Formats: sequence, C-alpha cells, structure tokens
Amino acid sequence: MRNLPSVAFTAIAAIALASPLAAAQKNGTIAQDFKLTDVNGKTIQLSQFRGKTVILEWHNPGCPFVSKHYSSGNMQATQKAARQQGAVWLTINSGAKGKQGHMTGAEAKALIAKQDIQSTNYLFDTKGVVGKAYGARTTPHMYIIDGSGILVYQGGIDDKPTANPADIKRARNHVLAALGEIKSGDKVSVAQSRPYGCSVKYAS
Amino acid sequence: MTFDFRILAMMLAFVTLAFAPAAEAQNRLGNTELNVPATLLAESQQVQAGQTVTLAFLMQPKPTWHGYWENPGDAGIGMSFDWKLPAGVTAGKAQFPVPDTLLISGIMNYVYKGDYAVLVNLTLSDKVRSGPLPISVKSEWLSCTDEICVPEQDELSITLQVVEAESSAPIDKRFNDFRAAMARPLGSEATFSVSDDLFRLSVPLPANVQIDKPYFFIKEDGMVDYGAPQKFTRDGDRVILETGARGDQLDTISGILKIGDHMGFLFTATKGEVAMTGLPLVNDGAKAEGSASLLFLALGGALLGGLLLNLMPCVFPILSLKAISLAKAGGNESEVRRDALAYTAGVVLVATALGAILLGLRASGAAVGWAFQLQDPRIIFVLLALVTAIGLNLAGLFELPNLNFGNKLTKKDGTAGSFWTGALAAFVATPCTGPFMAAALGATIVLPPVAALVIFAGLGVGLALPFLLIAFVPAIRSRLPKPGPWLDSFRKIMAIPMFLTSIGLIWLLGRQIGTDALGLSLIFLLTISLILWWFGGGQMKGLSRGALTSAAMVVAIVAGILALPGEDAMNDQKLASSSSATLPSEPFSETRLSELRASGEPVFAYFTADWCITCKANEAAAIQRTETADAFRAAKVAVLMGDWTRPDPDISRFLEKHGRAGVPLYLYYAPGAEPVILPQILTVATLTELVNGPVQSAMLDATPQ
Repeated sequence: MRNLPSVAFTAIAAIALASPLAAAQKNGTIAQDFKLTDVNGKTIQLSQFRGKTVILEWHNPGCPFVSKHYSSGNMQATQKAARQQGAVWLTINSGAKGKQGHMTGAEAKALIAKQDIQSTNYLFDTKGVVGKAYGARTTPHMYIIDGSGILVYQGGIDDKPTANPADIKRARNHVLAALGEIKSGDKVSVAQSRPYGCSVKYAS
Repeated sequence: MTFDFRILAMMLAFVTLAFAPAAEAQNRLGNTELNVPATLLAESQQVQAGQTVTLAFLMQPKPTWHGYWENPGDAGIGMSFDWKLPAGVTAGKAQFPVPDTLLISGIMNYVYKGDYAVLVNLTLSDKVRSGPLPISVKSEWLSCTDEICVPEQDELSITLQVVEAESSAPIDKRFNDFRAAMARPLGSEATFSVSDDLFRLSVPLPANVQIDKPYFFIKEDGMVDYGAPQKFTRDGDRVILETGARGDQLDTISGILKIGDHMGFLFTATKGEVAMTGLPLVNDGAKAEGSASLLFLALGGALLGGLLLNLMPCVFPILSLKAISLAKAGGNESEVRRDALAYTAGVVLVATALGAILLGLRASGAAVGWAFQLQDPRIIFVLLALVTAIGLNLAGLFELPNLNFGNKLTKKDGTAGSFWTGALAAFVATPCTGPFMAAALGATIVLPPVAALVIFAGLGVGLALPFLLIAFVPAIRSRLPKPGPWLDSFRKIMAIPMFLTSIGLIWLLGRQIGTDALGLSLIFLLTISLILWWFGGGQMKGLSRGALTSAAMVVAIVAGILALPGEDAMNDQKLASSSSATLPSEPFSETRLSELRASGEPVFAYFTADWCITCKANEAAAIQRTETADAFRAAKVAVLMGDWTRPDPDISRFLEKHGRAGVPLYLYYAPGAEPVILPQILTVATLTELVNGPVQSAMLDATPQ
C-alpha cells in the first residue's frame, strides 16, 4: 500500500493537467489574479497594478522563437514602447527545474543585464500554476490586461510564425497594435491570435 | 506494442535506397547536421509535358525527435515551401500523412515520430520543352524533442527529365508506402456545431467500419481545444465526436478522422446541428472512468435482458416446469438450492462461452453478431430437432427415462440435470435476445474482452434470476401452485410455445438453405419424431426401447446434418438472396481493363470502399439494380470493381490519374472511345442510358419542346 499516496497524487496531477487549457482565461472577463516571486525574491501580485495596462509575456531563453525576438531587439523595443505608454510588462518563466529555460534569480538577472530586457518584472512560475491558469502554451505567448483588470488580448507577438528574424519587419506586431488601440480608446481589433513558438516547459 | 507498418515500410525503403543512389537528389547545402533531415525524391525521373509527377520530402527524424503536421496543435509550427520552378511548372498543395498525437504537460502536439513523407504534385503545362527540368525548393520546418525545439531548413533540389514519349523510367516503389500513409478523402461531408464551449462533429462512416482509438485532427486553428479529451459515439452510419471548443468563427472546417494506425479519412465539415447520440466508443483506454460507467450500464441492460428472456416462447416452458418441479421437491431446502445453483452455473457458463466464441470470431475478423450460432444451418437443425423433441415430450408423446444425456430437462431433479437445463435454456434463448439487448451487446464490442465477458455472464445471471429467487426465497416457492392433475394439462399447453419455436427455426433454416434442402431436413425431422413416438408407444406398453431409440436418433440427426447443403451452397444462397450479386463484377486491374478495351468490349469500372457511404448508396440505388444489370447484360458490358477499403497503390494511382483523390469513381468506356467519368451521384437512368444512349437521345430529339 506504499504506492497509494503516489497513485492518488498522480490522479490529482492528471486532473490538474487535463484542466488548464480548458480553464484558459477568456477575453472580456477579469483576468485571474496571481502572486509570483521576481528575480529578487519579491512577491508581485497582478492586482497591485489595477489602473494600468499589464502585458504578460511567457519566456524561455533557450527557445529559438524567443531568441528571434530578443537577438533582433524586437521584444525589448516593444517592452520599452509599452512602458513609455505607462503600461506594466511582466515577463513570466514557467519552465520547471531541469527543463529547458529554467533559471535561478541570479541567472535571470545576468540575462536581463546582458540582453537589456526592458520588462517591469521578471517572474518565476516554476510550478506552472499561473501558466496553466492562463492556458499559456508557447514561448512567447502574450496577454494584455486593461486598467480595469479585463483581458483584452491573448495570442502571438506577431503574425509571422517563423524563427527567422528577417520576418519581423514584415510582421504585424499584435501587442504594439493593441496598445495603440487601447491608448486611443478603441476596441482591440485583433483580440486573439495563434501563439507560436516552443511549448512551455511545464513540470508535468 | 503495436506493430508499426509504416516504420517497417520505411526501413525497407532504406534498403532500396542504398541500392539506388543514382535516383537521389542533390541537397544538403552547407547545413549543419539536421535533427529531422529531409530528402527530396521523385516518383519518376522522367515526365511528359502536360503531365503530373509526384515529389516526396522524405523526413527522417533522429530518435526522440519529431516533426509537425500542417496544423501543429497547441505549439510548434508546420512546414513551409518556397519553390523555384521553371516556367510552366506549378507545385500543388503539400499532402501530409496521418499524424500522431503527443501530449506533453497538457500541451497537445500533432506530430510524426518515425520517418514520414510529405507529397507534392508538380504539374507541367503542355508548353514545357523536352530536356532537363531543374526543381529547387527552400523548406523550413520545426524539429523538436519532448524538451527542446530547433527550427530547421534546407534547400533541396532535383533534376527531372522532360521526355516526348511515355516515360520509360522506373517508378519509385517507395511512393506506394508514402501514399498508403496518407489520409484518404472520405467523399462525403461532415457536420459540426459549437455551443456552450463544446465542439461536436458528426462524420458519415458506415456502421461496420472498425474503429480503433479514434482521434480528430482539425486543420484550422482556433476552433477546437486541442488538449481536451475527445469523446466519440457511434450512431448507425455516423461517428460523433464531442470535445472542447475554442471558438466558432468558421463555417467550414476540414481535418482527418484517424481510425487506426496510419489509417485516416480526410473530409470537410460545415456548420449544422449535431446531437450526441449513439453508443459511446472508448478512446485509448485511458478513460477508465467512462469505460466503467459504460460497463455498469451495459451490465444492467444485460441483467434486465436476461430476466426478460425467461418470458420468451423458447425458454418459458422449460423454465416454468422446472420451477414447479422445484416446488414439488418442496421440503428439502438444501437440495432445492443446489439445483438452482447448478442451473445458474449452466446458464452462466453457456452464455459466457457463447460470448467468448463471439469475441474470438470477431477478433479473427469475421463479421458476426450475437446469435451467430444460428447462422450455421447445422446448428439450427440440431436445435430444431431438440426443440421439437421437447415439444413432443411436453405434449405427452413420450416420457424421458433417467439415463440419457439431457434427460432430466423437465421432470426428474438432480444437480447434473439442472445444470443441463440451464445450459439448454441459455443456448436456445440467445436468438430471442431482441433489440432491447442490442445496446448492451453492442457495448461488448467496444469494451475490453474481460469486461465484455462479464456482460455475457450478466445476461446469464439475469436469465437464471427467477430460478434463484424461487430456490432461495421460500415465501415465493410456497406461493407457487401446488402440483396436481392440472399440472399435466399445463405441461401439454406448454408444448404450444415449443412448437412455435420449431416453426421459427424452420423459417430461419429455409431462408438459409432454400426450400429444396428444407424439405429434406423436414423429412429427417419427421423421422426423429416417429422414432420418439415409437419409443413413447413402447413406454406405454412397458417395453424398453431406449438403446435402440438413442441409436436411431443419432443416425437420424447425423444424416440430417449431412444432408444439409455445404458451406459453398450456403454462400451461393446468401449471394443469390443478397443484392450484391445483382450486377456481377470482376476485380479491377489496369491489365484487365486494357485487355477488355483491346477486345472491343464496353467496360463499366467502379471504385468503392466499405467505409464510403456515397459509394454504398450509389450501389444500392443504381448499380446493384435489376434494371441496370439487365441493360448491361444486353449490351455485353464488362464490369470491373476496384475495392479501396484497404489502401491499394494500383487503385490509388489509377484514381489520381483520373483527377480523383478518392472514391467513388465511376467510369464508362464505350468501345474505341475516351472514357466518360460519370457523376458522383448515380441513378439507374444514368447507367442504363450509357448503353441505350443513342436510342434514348433519338427519342428525346424527336420530342417537340
């Protein structure tokens, strides 16, 4: 009977595993609140930014599709533009320990310095709870939450699903476009798109 | 571990590859080693202007690596092609083989783990001049393990030869395997609906098509929650799917319904109403919960069905008399219980054994249903003799002595006698199961074998239940009428349902073997009855004719069985009675077709598959009709039938040559003329006009408008 707890655990894990994508957040509803620790061990809560536009970006430094947007400077430029507009940018790493892209706080700080990452906070979601609650499937996978906490965009960073940096200049940057529309008080015209990239390296 | 035919095919292809280096394309332009390397192949090195040649990207993932289907699922990216083609050459859409699912941490990927080939058709215009034809393509794809992903690309090229005359270059046999791994067009349209976050899809597929671990791969993104479990049911000629929805922005979708290893159907679906009806199909064994509830439901159905079987004309007489005789035994409680248990054991054992045989036959590929034992005329004959004998016994023609097998059916008690009564009851009861049992028995086909056997045993328990109640609840037993002179009359009345059962069996026998053979069988049946009568007469006079009677019975029954028509005759009878032989046909082959064409005969060639509803509908409505058969016979039309139920490379190539990716295809070759491709929906008139054409059109011409 030694195996019983582990069997029970596996069953729970299986249920938890089957649910996340079904439980993904819906546009037009309040985005689920969460608390995660950042690179300095500080707890960051989504709801503390109520009143500001918040961008969530799922990140994995080992993923070639993430590299496409960082080595070209595209992601940093998008982050900078968003923050200049007064928005908050949270970069989230749901990579589990031992999986591709997992980092310690120190490693992440070094990467932020090296790549000049412009996000407001870099958060760790090692257990994948927030990633699954949001149905984050790829890196990058982008979400935009407006000042009243409502999810207004989810999907890819742009509409050219390749790993080739040369495609960036011909692509429509969905995040910049949505931020522009939010700023001028318009409805986000492309509120959902297909995210592309590597799969998020969840623990289970 | 399932046997992966495709991998074997690819391995064989490799061996071929080693011996045919000249046929290889030039590629690998300064790339670092790829994890999923691609090789560009052509089915034929030579092609004529105005023709089509098929190219293949042979993708060979290293161990642990995989490539992606055109819709990669939750993550990943499909393959892209950037062609550099000479003027007058166009590349068609890439065709991908049936993919596999790969679920990692709730993220669904549609992938290929082993070697696979992506096919593209190149079409040359009439104006392409003879000589070398350089083809080059830059392709990008994503290669992943369960952990990491690497975008890969390669520039592949191949040089074909444009020739004037028919190509003499050999055809690359590997393409047969490549094509066999593709999904085949279903030919009919499906319907889908999206409501309350549920996506439903109803696909037309004949009820007799075997399905193993079905999965629906949708091509369009944003409609289906890829990671959600897919629930399937079957309702007649439809397969219905329910899974999580992601959106409902599209009115038309397309995809592949996978129904087995590398076996899938390609179709489009339009928006409509879809209800979840029919019997649930158990998907990939992981849904033990669904399977368990299905098991309980089916078990309940089986119990109830078994209980109702007690009222069937074939069972009721045996049972009621047995029950009364139990009551008669009265006092001895333990003996009564032992009898009841023996009876139950007999019923359950026979029901389970019949179920096991049924499952075994099904596993061996035979299309049999419950009451399959009644498909064999010999068994029907034995059963007929037995039921008639029981009827005669009940009618009082003879009494059963204590000695022979099955002799304690109704009267004398004893553990062995009870057991055989139970066995007999179960055996004769099965054909009476009726429609209310169909659902429970249908479930046995989709449940794992052990669970299926439990259901058959449940049927047996249900059948034995009243008997167990009588034995174990004395209150019920005391309510049963006391035996008396009325019992004799009751017994004689009970002979009536027994004889009715005999008539039912005679009818069944007649349908299977025809009236001539039936007459002969009835003569043997009469002989058996006369022997029993003679035996009964002896009993009245106090003479023992048991040994002689038994011998004569055995002779009569064996003779009766031997006199029955053999398997072949029976099949002929079946063919003659079924519509499938109305228009006889030969199997299709291109050689046979050219032979017939050379001899100047008109030819009608049709291509069908058991899973194709349109095909079956056309056959029933137009092809297998007396009018059509008569017209074709009069015009001496040769009929060729190509069966594409299993992938057949020759038929695949022939279909492709006629611009069809799948069945149905109907062709008419008038002597010396170009073939006419007939419409996909046939009528008797379409077919008969082919041969009576001139007359009919002349008449039409003469008719004033």
